[in-house]
Amino acid sequence: MAILAGLGALLAIPVGFAQSPAPATSASPDASVDSQVQSLKSDVLDLNRDLFVLEQELLYPANTQVAVFVAIDAGTFFALDSVQLKIDGKEVADYLYTPREVHSLVQGGVQRLYVGNLKVGKHELVAFFTGKGPHNLDYTRGATLDFRKEIGAKYLELTITDDQHKLQPEFRIKDWN
Amino acid sequence: MPGRWKRASLAVVWTSLAILGILPAFASRFHAAPGLPAPDFALRAYAGPNARLSEHIGQVVVVSFWGVGCEACRAQLEALEQDFSRYRAQGLRIYGIEVADDQLQARRYAGGLHVTFPLLLDPAKAVARLYDVDTLPMTVLIDRDGKIRRVVRDFNETSRRACEDELRTLLAE
Repeated sequence: MAILAGLGALLAIPVGFAQSPAPATSASPDASVDSQVQSLKSDVLDLNRDLFVLEQELLYPANTQVAVFVAIDAGTFFALDSVQLKIDGKEVADYLYTPREVHSLVQGGVQRLYVGNLKVGKHELVAFFTGKGPHNLDYTRGATLDFRKEIGAKYLELTITDDQHKLQPEFRIKDWN
Repeated sequence: MPGRWKRASLAVVWTSLAILGILPAFASRFHAAPGLPAPDFALRAYAGPNARLSEHIGQVVVVSFWGVGCEACRAQLEALEQDFSRYRAQGLRIYGIEVADDQLQARRYAGGLHVTFPLLLDPAKAVARLYDVDTLPMTVLIDRDGKIRRVVRDFNETSRRACEDELRTLLAE
């Protein structure tokens, strides 16, 4: 109901703008216009954010939502090129990384690779990682996780770590719930 | 009364879905027209790192679609190479995107081109579709805000001059 009320309010906003009286001009019109423009810009940004949140709530309700994140811990033995994601055998994401994005992940960033909806029950997640492995050789590895989706959002994380003993990269899927 | 509320709620939800879903889908039919934001893409390069268009906000970007055996495409890419060496320092970025069925042939052809800007692979032609490529060469000029400023089809003296004038304007902004 809160979502509906919010949407109703959002849909009514253009009407509100149209009906609002023009503000009185002050002594320095340039400064006044500038501040009005800044205020309008800020309002538009706020509206955009609210609309994005509402859109996300509508498209991916908390009860059915599943989100998959990507993180790199260290990353000495693997230069990430792309990640392909399959849920229950269906490809849901195929993401190509640029050096800048990989750098952000190595620096500790976490990327939301996929968000979607799943029914309650058992599911299988398969992730394929491609890139350059040790000795700059082409490297493709997969990781699989069987998980159970309950009522409520499900968060999974694909993590690339360094295995210092084997001097190889390691690919894991973590369940945050 | 509860039935009426239910119907009203459903109406609001459907209206919202229409606004959130149908209208953007309708607008997205015209993806590559001047004034619209340039559709983002990420592609592998023939040589060098992967490229993503949205990483170049704040720079002027030229995206040129080319094909194997297209002489006008070769001429266009050579002209762009001149622009690249002249305006690179001013923030010009150029990507040549190949639209070819035979990847091996395209790779060989790309090896023979003397260009220093990245040549990207679009094996599924997804980016070509996104930009409504209907003729080769096709060149898209994108401003520093990431909006399409001009789409130039074919390559000749007139289109070359128009492209260069537009580039200078974009770089001066």
